[in-house]
Amino acid sequence: MRLEKCWFCSSTVYPGHGIQYVRNDAKIFRFCRSKCHKNFKMKRNPRKVKWTKAYRRLHGKDMTQDSTFEFERKRNRPERYDRNVTENTLKAIKKIDKVRVDREARHHAKRMKGKKAQLLREATKELEQSIHMVKAPAALQQDPSLTLPKIKVKVTQEQTEGNGMVE
Amino acid sequence: MAASNSSKLFRAGRSILGGFSNSYFGASRWTSPLNHMEFLSQQQRAFIQMRTNLKVVDNSGAKRVMCIQASKGRKGARLGDTIVASVKEAKVGGKVKKGDVHYAVVVRAAMQRGRCDGSEVKFDDNAVVLINKQGEPIGTRVFGPVPHELRKKKHLKILSLAEHIA
Repeated sequence: MRLEKCWFCSSTVYPGHGIQYVRNDAKIFRFCRSKCHKNFKMKRNPRKVKWTKAYRRLHGKDMTQDSTFEFERKRNRPERYDRNVTENTLKAIKKIDKVRVDREARHHAKRMKGKKAQLLREATKELEQSIHMVKAPAALQQDPSLTLPKIKVKVTQEQTEGNGMVE
Repeated sequence: MAASNSSKLFRAGRSILGGFSNSYFGASRWTSPLNHMEFLSQQQRAFIQMRTNLKVVDNSGAKRVMCIQASKGRKGARLGDTIVASVKEAKVGGKVKKGDVHYAVVVRAAMQRGRCDGSEVKFDDNAVVLINKQGEPIGTRVFGPVPHELRKKKHLKILSLAEHIA
């Protein structure tokens, strides 16, 4: 039994799933499901199709080089069965998966790092520009604490509920 | 098994109906109304039945062959089955001549065939290797990939001659 990779989306094809297409030049294409197969028949390039691993790796969305990938290299030599080796391998698989998932999460976090600051900047800009959609300008002039404080304003009881409406 | 059969039949149902209604057109494809662009260059999957044209991939001398009878199967032959075929086009000075009737074994079929692990295989075209009544190939070379369904059907000589076993 061998777990193959789908040619289009690079997900694992478990036994009992998918279609194997053998071209006349003896190149074998394995697909995990008909979605990938139909995209292949449409002659779509997986490197341009956004949801495939090929696209994500190419555009730096997912990790490309890591030592944990070395363990999954295809080896064509069958291993002689040894009970201890098998047991250790199974334990190692679990550990390696955990490590790989952690590293991928870190890669994702690094990629998304500037997001919070950008969201904050966008929110302040929107507040300055579009506050007239929420509150009439006349009301703003009467009660200046409804706008974003440029200077520190002493927060009293009535002003805090005004700020709540602005949110 | 029944579920996969029914789904297979459903998938090939379009082409079976097409095959039956166009039974005198053999392996001609009828383009569905969606494909007004010609990108679907792959073959419609259908059984190999009477009047199906097949490519010959050995060096017996024949080039194209037309199926006369699928020995097993009500609907037609599939990958790995033997058929009776008549040679339609042959090379000059080969072992077989035009108009000969031979047995042949299907080594590549565009219709997917289920494997015992549940996956399915399909090839690019329909191809046969000519054999005699005992199952031995007439030619001495086989071109292109062959499936290992042939091992179960005891066509070991063809497997040994093949350049690639899918």
